[in-house]
Amino acid sequence: MDWIQFVLAPQVINGLAIGVAVVLMALGLTIIFGLLDVINMAHGEFYALGAFLAVVLIGLGLSFWLALLLTPLLLAAVGYLTERTLIQRVFHSKDRHTLTLLLTFGLGVLLEDLLKIVFGANPLRLETPIAGATELLGLFFPNYRLFVMLFGGAVIAAVWLLVFRTPLGAMVRAAAFDRHMTASLGVPVHQVYAATFAFGVALAALAGVLLAPMYSVFPTMGRDFVFIAFSVVIIGGMGSIKGAVLAGLLLTQVQSVSSLWISPVWSDPLLFGIMVLVLVWRPQGLFGRLGHA
Amino acid sequence: MSADNILQVRNLSVRFGALKAVDDVSFDARQGAITAVIGPNGAGKSTLFNLVSGAFRPHSGRVTLAGRDITGQPPQTLLAAGLARSFQITNLFFELPVRENLRLAAQFVEAGPWWRGLRPVQASRAALQRVDELIEQFDLAADADEVAGALSHGQQRRLEIAMALASRPRLLLLDEPTQGMSHADTQDTAGLIRGLVQRGLSILIVEHDVDLVMKLSDHVVVMHQGAKLAEGPPAAVRADPAVQAAYFGKEAQHA
Amino acid sequence: MLETTLHPQGRALPAAPNRGRRADALRWIAGAFFLAALAFGIVAWAVGDVFFLRLATEALIYGGLALSVDLLLGRTGLLPLGQALFFGLGAYVSALVLKHWAASFWLALAVAMAASALAGLMGGLIAIRSKGVYFALISFGLAQVVSKVVYNTRELGASDGLIGVPAAQLGAGLSTALPLGFFLVVLALIFATWALLSWLMDTPFGRQLAAVRGNEQRLAFIGVDPWRVKLAVFVLAATIAGASGALYPMLRGFVSPELMFFQVSGNAVINVIVGGTGTLIGPLLGSSLLTGLRSVVGSWTEHHHIAIGLLFVIVVILAPRGLVGGLAPRLQAWLDRRRDQELS
Repeated sequence: MDWIQFVLAPQVINGLAIGVAVVLMALGLTIIFGLLDVINMAHGEFYALGAFLAVVLIGLGLSFWLALLLTPLLLAAVGYLTERTLIQRVFHSKDRHTLTLLLTFGLGVLLEDLLKIVFGANPLRLETPIAGATELLGLFFPNYRLFVMLFGGAVIAAVWLLVFRTPLGAMVRAAAFDRHMTASLGVPVHQVYAATFAFGVALAALAGVLLAPMYSVFPTMGRDFVFIAFSVVIIGGMGSIKGAVLAGLLLTQVQSVSSLWISPVWSDPLLFGIMVLVLVWRPQGLFGRLGHA
Repeated sequence: MSADNILQVRNLSVRFGALKAVDDVSFDARQGAITAVIGPNGAGKSTLFNLVSGAFRPHSGRVTLAGRDITGQPPQTLLAAGLARSFQITNLFFELPVRENLRLAAQFVEAGPWWRGLRPVQASRAALQRVDELIEQFDLAADADEVAGALSHGQQRRLEIAMALASRPRLLLLDEPTQGMSHADTQDTAGLIRGLVQRGLSILIVEHDVDLVMKLSDHVVVMHQGAKLAEGPPAAVRADPAVQAAYFGKEAQHA
Repeated sequence: MLETTLHPQGRALPAAPNRGRRADALRWIAGAFFLAALAFGIVAWAVGDVFFLRLATEALIYGGLALSVDLLLGRTGLLPLGQALFFGLGAYVSALVLKHWAASFWLALAVAMAASALAGLMGGLIAIRSKGVYFALISFGLAQVVSKVVYNTRELGASDGLIGVPAAQLGAGLSTALPLGFFLVVLALIFATWALLSWLMDTPFGRQLAAVRGNEQRLAFIGVDPWRVKLAVFVLAATIAGASGALYPMLRGFVSPELMFFQVSGNAVINVIVGGTGTLIGPLLGSSLLTGLRSVVGSWTEHHHIAIGLLFVIVVILAPRGLVGGLAPRLQAWLDRRRDQELS
């Protein structure tokens, strides 16, 4: 009983907090892919940008909560511009899949270099906004992690409702299903694309802000984290929101709990192994539709 | 014309989720004849083609080619057994020249172990000769060095058929070969197909153009909603009331 | 915008309207490149500048890695984001052979190539089933995973890697410690690799790669199993990457896990795109130019990466065919005009 309370539970709780952030990242990726058919290789760098921007805003005197609100909005604007000015230029070429992959890859390299130049390679730390822990049902929940779970969970639920229960979401889903048809129905497709990209990027930035107080902030933080996000999207199924949520929560739990028994070195190989197995068994992922990527 | 069946399809079925795309279909295609598969949209003709040509694997049933069981085999194995197909949606190597498209398809006639594929292309004399034959046969000489994507639609459809023919198959599957063609091109293609059969080839053809099918084929199979509706010589099938109902159902009701 | 539905065949990357004739221009460019490299090496040696000689050797070694990436990306249409795995593997195996078995150039090279081929087979069996981004991510993931394991393995020197790798002997008194000698050996090896690959592109197997890139689905229907083709080219690319990596410890005397990191894989892709995807000589050129650039600019400022990153993004958007990809057609046109003039 003690073991559950003091060894297992903290791992599960930590895993849930990370899991929520991973799901937000994965949602951003999968939504961008589902609608634009673009793999955003720079997604991790937008995550890092979110964390860094929060650090900057807090350094300027804003409260963490204000930074939490502002950062996704600011980065959404960056995402919108990026899509309109850069990505759309290669959007319609024949080799669009390779070119968009390379372009976003290049953007990621650029952003990472930019962060290194501006902030240096040394990790930065953010103070935990809510200290202390709460006891619930005999388990100890660090307050900030509790907040991350609840807030992140709320955002995930909101995204779900937006995509599946609103006319806007229906339009976006229609555009994902048949681009040209939607365009000929008078929907401003260019703006929809840019807005979707912005939205996906905002989710990544939000994840960055949420996790910043839990871990240190450094320019290459995006690279490792995006690997998990991509694995989740692949396992859950490219373009599937349900898949992103389920796979995200499940896999972070697997990583968290398994760290009790195996060294952290094997955490990534474990995830990679699971991804390969899923691809072998079901190439479209758990909930994906064949014919994508 | 031999009475042997080059192709035997027995109880072939496949379902996608709850949809029975091909439902217990059986028919024969005779050697040296043109067998046509027709039916209204969504009848399952293309799916049937995909099953026979190895693009999909059936859930049940059997396909036999000249007595050999080929059910569920991958396309490259089927080619070795003598079955080749063309595609409804033009499926060429658009970035490559016409000549190269044909050479890729004709490379099959070069016999020999795998490492012979490491000699220069110029050494593949049999394949290159076949390419010249096909260019002449399909009237592609004028644009032989053009990129396949630059050809007119009619020329591309001809190239489609030429590529399927390159390996000298015994049974040729043509998937809507005259799709999108002008009337003149369609007639030319019909003549071409007739000519192929006179040289001993067997053909299985899916077509939308019912008139063309009636004039061209020796044997017709009608599909409707995944199942076989009728089978027989063109005139008999055309007169079949069930077939008429399937094609013109609503109008018959209003008449 | 909507034209894409009316005109499905747009600009390809790279466009090869008449492959046979374009090869002329590429051969000219290659000839110029190798002669220039030879001249560079001799001049550097004559002037006594060991640093630039060693830098040029390193540029050629990374050129080998770029060739392996181009084989996958430019020829077969598969984007590998983890090719550094085989490069680093070759480097480590070579270092281990030189340190603990025998300081023989040929032995180290042979064992490294065998190890890379084997690793390529295993990695290929996992990666080849996928395409597009899945392939890129599996390639990335493999490199990520293995490099982390190596980073944490004490027997392999952990984060410090292996140092004190002796110079390798080539026989007849030649040793890799000699700057000019080793430069010439590497140049010869890279030339041989380029020549082999160029020749391979005009064989049925090489043409199958282009077919996979253009329309993989059709291949099975003309009798070729695309899976086998892709696996074969993956193993070949891994072997070339491993062979290039094997040369690294001979040059620098050490190996470290950084050789397997994403930076190396990413740089190789950048070298290929900037140089000219699919041209084989382009990646060599790109690798030489950018390795030199990274070093020279890097000595002025720490921020050379961003300059190259910027260059890469600009190339992808405005000139996706890269340097040689853009140059070759123009050169070819000029050559054709000259030939026509001579005939008339």
